[in-house]
Amino acid sequence: MAAICVENLTKKYKNGVQALDGLTLTVNEGEIFSLLGQNGAGKSTLINVLTTYLRPTSGSVIMFGKDACREAAAIRSRIACVAQRTSIDTHLSLAENMMFQSKLYKVPKAEAQKRMEALIACFGLERYLTYPVSSYSGGVRRRLDIALNMMSNPKVLFLDEPTVGMDIQSRMAMWDMMKKIKDDFGTTIFLTTHYLEEADRLSDTICIMKNGKEVIQGTPHALREYLRQDMLKISFASKEEAKSCFDALKSVVALKETDLRHDKIITGSKNGRADLEKANRWLLDHGIPFLGIEIMQPALEDVFIRLTGENGKEVCR
Amino acid sequence: MSVFTLLRRNIKWRFHNAFTIVITILQPMLWLVLYSAVAGQSMRGIGIENYTAFILPGLIVLVSFGACSSGGIMNYLMKTDGSFYRVLIAPVQRSSIVLGQVLEAVLCTFLEVAVMCIVSLFFSVKIASGFMGLLFMVLLVFMTAFFLSGLTYAISLCLPNEVVYETVMNAIVLPVFFLSTALFPAETLSGGFAIAVNLNPFTHVINALRALILQGNIAARDIIPVLLLLAVMCLISFSWALHRLRKETSL
Repeated sequence: MAAICVENLTKKYKNGVQALDGLTLTVNEGEIFSLLGQNGAGKSTLINVLTTYLRPTSGSVIMFGKDACREAAAIRSRIACVAQRTSIDTHLSLAENMMFQSKLYKVPKAEAQKRMEALIACFGLERYLTYPVSSYSGGVRRRLDIALNMMSNPKVLFLDEPTVGMDIQSRMAMWDMMKKIKDDFGTTIFLTTHYLEEADRLSDTICIMKNGKEVIQGTPHALREYLRQDMLKISFASKEEAKSCFDALKSVVALKETDLRHDKIITGSKNGRADLEKANRWLLDHGIPFLGIEIMQPALEDVFIRLTGENGKEVCR
Repeated sequence: MSVFTLLRRNIKWRFHNAFTIVITILQPMLWLVLYSAVAGQSMRGIGIENYTAFILPGLIVLVSFGACSSGGIMNYLMKTDGSFYRVLIAPVQRSSIVLGQVLEAVLCTFLEVAVMCIVSLFFSVKIASGFMGLLFMVLLVFMTAFFLSGLTYAISLCLPNEVVYETVMNAIVLPVFFLSTALFPAETLSGGFAIAVNLNPFTHVINALRALILQGNIAARDIIPVLLLLAVMCLISFSWALHRLRKETSL
């Protein structure tokens, strides 16, 4: 069953910026839905519209059968949003923050108390109970922010780049939290992220957007399948070495500017084996040092770069 | 219910940032203790027996300005490090959000006015109109603070940061204070200044409070027009604050 149905959504700010341009997507109940896109693609605007913070210019947003514009109040009681910037009141204690949230959503006190204890235990916040919130590290603040947003037992939890700026341990702890929220609480998670690995690991459905519009939507597996071709990868010792032979290599295999990725050249190849042989011979003949050359299956990153590049064509599954 | 939830949260913010109480009461207290003692001697010459009692109404308005201005600061702090945006997507009416903050500023004003009144007792200030007069004073202070906190709430949502906000508030408060009857009787004025002072709504609030403190009888013609004026001003400032909050989400 669909939790969120967005159709032909547009949002033009009063300053003239067109952030969303006819976006259509569907989020199923109980899944982790990841939204990927470059900076300025319209991800945060979309979250702001879905959370009823902003009104769309046109199009429709239906959540649980209710219209987000006309029945915003009914939707607000079923959703919660962890914004990019943590929204914790530092003058309140951890428990006061959580109880404040429960009162905003009119959760009965006894139930709120039980839920708070469960969330504190679930997200490992017990040891921080006695410390002032202002002394918490960024990671703990983020955990508290998510925990307190779960106080209202939302049907959909929006997470706007929740792991941005986190070290890898904190990020992995956050991934565990998201899985727990989905599995233990049955909450639908709408996630925006820049980390493709994160989206690949966690998501049931991924949507890639560009210039305010969806480019593709599907399971991580389906998205990888989308390219339906091998990838030729040539590794160099440094970014400079990769760059120095990039232009010359264009005469051997078809390359696009986006194929140069740091110290590697990665390109889609329709004739994998033949291209590998040609490129390998050319590199050896010209005495160009390289670390390795191989044929590999496309990663989500390849799909993302292909679709969000200048020539990425727009499709929707 | 949401109003009280937000009000409690805001009261906790106020006590967590207790310096906002101290700072906003400091200047009016200096006026009350030092200025009234020094200027009081020369004011006896123009027939004002207890100058502290004379300037107390003006200082009540001044302290209301201060307390309500600091309520506007709360918006900036809640936006950068607090739950401002989270509350906006919660199932809470916009009017409850504004009211929760306005009422906190009103309560803070009452706290500061109470301190001022207690201190003024040491300067032989008495409310000549008795208990009924005190009730009218409470009503006038409530409405003044309600109007001012709605105004500062709206202004704080119009201006980009707290530095600009503080500058603008200072630019408003002092001219309004000096162009009123806070420090001297209106009868001594003439010309353009007399018109300006008479056009200042706070002149009438101060005069009404002063009448309740200094005169034994309560004259309806002194009080009711002022209450009506304040009621209209409260309605306008609250509506403006609500409009500004709604505009936060109509980018």
